[in-house]
Amino acid sequence: MSVLAILNIDWQTLADGLALGAIYALMAVGIGLVFGVLRLVNFAYGQLVMAGAFALALASQWGWPLWAGIVLCFAVVLALSVAMDHLVFRPLRGHSPAVMLVATFAVAFLLQSIALLWFGSLGKIASSLAFLNRPWTISDVDIRKITIVAVIVAVLCLLLLHLLLERTEVGLHMRAASMDFATSRMLGVRANRVISFAVLISGALAAVVAVMLTVQTPLVTPDFALRDTIVVLAGVVVGGLNRPIPATLGGFSIGFATGVLGGALPTNQSQYLPTFVFVAVILVLLVRPRGLFDFSRSVERV
Amino acid sequence: MSDTGRGAHMRRLDELVAPVVLVVAAALLGSLASISNQTYFTDTLVKVSIVVALYVFIGNSGVLSFGHISFVALGAWTAGVLTVPPSEKPAIMPNLAEFLLHRHVGNVTSLVLAAVVGGIAAFVVGIPLMRLSGLAAGIATFAVLEITYNLLQYEERIGPGLNAFSSVPETTGLRQAAIGAVVCIVVAFVYARSRFGRLLRATREDDAAARAVGASVYRQRLIGFTVSGVLAGLAGGLYVHLLPVNVNSVHLDLTFLTLAMLVVGGSGSLLGAVVGTLAVSAIDSWLAVAENGTSVFGLNLDLPAGTAEIVVGVLMAAILILRPSGLTGGRELRLRGRIAWRGSASRAPA
Amino acid sequence: MTLTVGNLDVRYGGVHAVRDLSFTVAPGEIVGLIGPNGAGKSSTLHAIMGLAPASGSVRLGDRELLGLRPEDVARSGIALVPEGRRIYAELTVEENLRLGLAARRSRAAADLDPVYELFPVVRDFRARQAGALSGGQQQQLAIARALVAEPDVLLLDEPSLGLAPSIVDVVFAALDAIKERGLAVLLVEQRAQRTVAAANRSHVLANGALHLTLGPGDADDTEKLVAAYLS
Repeated sequence: MSVLAILNIDWQTLADGLALGAIYALMAVGIGLVFGVLRLVNFAYGQLVMAGAFALALASQWGWPLWAGIVLCFAVVLALSVAMDHLVFRPLRGHSPAVMLVATFAVAFLLQSIALLWFGSLGKIASSLAFLNRPWTISDVDIRKITIVAVIVAVLCLLLLHLLLERTEVGLHMRAASMDFATSRMLGVRANRVISFAVLISGALAAVVAVMLTVQTPLVTPDFALRDTIVVLAGVVVGGLNRPIPATLGGFSIGFATGVLGGALPTNQSQYLPTFVFVAVILVLLVRPRGLFDFSRSVERV
Repeated sequence: MSDTGRGAHMRRLDELVAPVVLVVAAALLGSLASISNQTYFTDTLVKVSIVVALYVFIGNSGVLSFGHISFVALGAWTAGVLTVPPSEKPAIMPNLAEFLLHRHVGNVTSLVLAAVVGGIAAFVVGIPLMRLSGLAAGIATFAVLEITYNLLQYEERIGPGLNAFSSVPETTGLRQAAIGAVVCIVVAFVYARSRFGRLLRATREDDAAARAVGASVYRQRLIGFTVSGVLAGLAGGLYVHLLPVNVNSVHLDLTFLTLAMLVVGGSGSLLGAVVGTLAVSAIDSWLAVAENGTSVFGLNLDLPAGTAEIVVGVLMAAILILRPSGLTGGRELRLRGRIAWRGSASRAPA
Repeated sequence: MTLTVGNLDVRYGGVHAVRDLSFTVAPGEIVGLIGPNGAGKSSTLHAIMGLAPASGSVRLGDRELLGLRPEDVARSGIALVPEGRRIYAELTVEENLRLGLAARRSRAAADLDPVYELFPVVRDFRARQAGALSGGQQQQLAIARALVAEPDVLLLDEPSLGLAPSIVDVVFAALDAIKERGLAVLLVEQRAQRTVAAANRSHVLANGALHLTLGPGDADDTEKLVAAYLS
């Protein structure tokens, strides 16, 4: 306990770090899955989360019950993911990674502008799950329920995903496709099916993230999750873009570090946090482009 | 068609004509507009400078850079800090460093210094980054953008931090913006025609072959990056003298808009940079006017605020998907008795 | 079913890799495609598999395959063992095999025993990471992976590349057994002599075009072989 006291970290901050790490880990997986099969970094991933959050906000504004709001959130995010895939990802398949990056950048901007148009810059409130923001008291320490729920949900999702990838046929096809797409097709793996699957799972994860983030930040604005996406992308690159586990670890680490440092450091020191993070990104890209956590022998793709 | 000799030199000068003519035409058009509308034209011409700077690097190297607006920002900061009247400085920049507090320079000097700072910054950033290509370069330059944004937000010893740059003398009028744009175009043209530009383009097409003939990919990219940093810095200096600039106006929005302009026009050519800027600006400005309520052929049009960005976004995505080489196809326009296109349609940045 | 290639033309941009190539491979046959580097042998296999832009005709029985996507060609009953083997180093041997099942047309439970019979090493190392296998073992895995799809036609792109002679023996013995099982085998190789000896007939390709056809009897005629390559 005294170590924590010296570092000016209390249990709440630690829990916050874990929760943010868990949420960022899910986003990292979402981004990494699509990158694996499409070699495309989806800059617009945060907009999927934003769309889900707005769906929740609308549902709460219309007085819908909680479960209906969550269903709407999933429906909207999945529909948007599929639309992005068909309208943008597939036509761009085969182009250089940089073109794809610019294109998703454009889509991100487009979606943000649409949200600005539709909802205005003041945003809307998604109040349904607010009760999770209240604390549990465990032996004299207050921890907000959402932090524990976030960690549990993230662990569950990752576990399910692991089972899907390791134990099912389609999971095997997805893993193979992300290692060597051309050979997989030649063996009979249906390219489009694998990509659609990855896009749907990625979307589902975005919806989960939307639900959890709106608990902590009920005010949904057009740039909701934009900051988070950029940070997660940095984490994924630092952790290792090419493989799922390093990417997830990267997302988790940066979430955890941001959460803890954000709480522990006084404001005038924590404001330069982004600079440190992005300097780390550049260093990794220069020195160890496959990522800090990638110890495999696979061929580099970045 | 021989590429040597004075004849060829004159032929190649033709390609400078179209971009310059377009800029001058835009300036003339602007001078005919009402005072309130002139700002749109001036703003467009400053953006031409930015997009030309982008072309100098992205168009010639084929490497994507998300970070050029950092150099625009640094140029803006340099010119702004040095031209705010000393009496006003404490008001908007209370924590300004000692040596900057009393420095004051003239307008042109501030622009030159802005360009110099942009160039130095680009050089320093380029030293580590020019080894990278493709996706890595895109991400790394994006990181540079974010680092600059973060530093300028909170470092109040060198600028206004989160405040806007008000009280900067508004010296960027139509004429100065046009001159600035022409200067950038000429520099870009000279660079592209020079040995450096041609070597850099060689690496874009096939960098293994280029290396085989002795072109150093790293060195040529660094040179191109630095030149484009100089132009970006200059544009930043012009920008800060046009509107009250703050950190957010030189961040993601401007990055997106200028990249869209380059992509729509065609990243492979100088003409593309100019055409793209003017075309997108025209659409953007017209839509901005329509957002305030206007009438077209007797129909009343009152578009909701924010439509402009959506249209630009759709346009950019559509061009990338349907015609990645942009409106000009990456080609320049030659005038020799008759109008002819030169150059192969280049692909979008790799 | 017989694989019939008719007037096949493959162009990569300005390069004309295969010119007006026609040949057939019937069930129970091994047909060799030999020739110097760059002759268009690999391009032919890629075109059949839908991996290269081609014109002409590629028919399996009555069905026209040209223009289909690679996964659909695979699911029609053609399996390719690519150059360099291209196995998934990070997956286990068993997972590599299971991937081969993707192209299987039959709904019945897969029976891997025939494949294990041909390549016992694949059965023995089932749980190992494929990347840990030796070159020869990986080649056997690559062929096994193609066979589990129960294809009608087996295409092999330079299977003996980089292998020790003893392993090459194993591979060619397996090809014989595969032929006996009724598959049509199209074998692209640089080792002219072994191929000519093992195949029912061998087509010599040069500059993308069919130059001449050799039979097993020509295997010992060194002069003829050299002339075929150099002409």
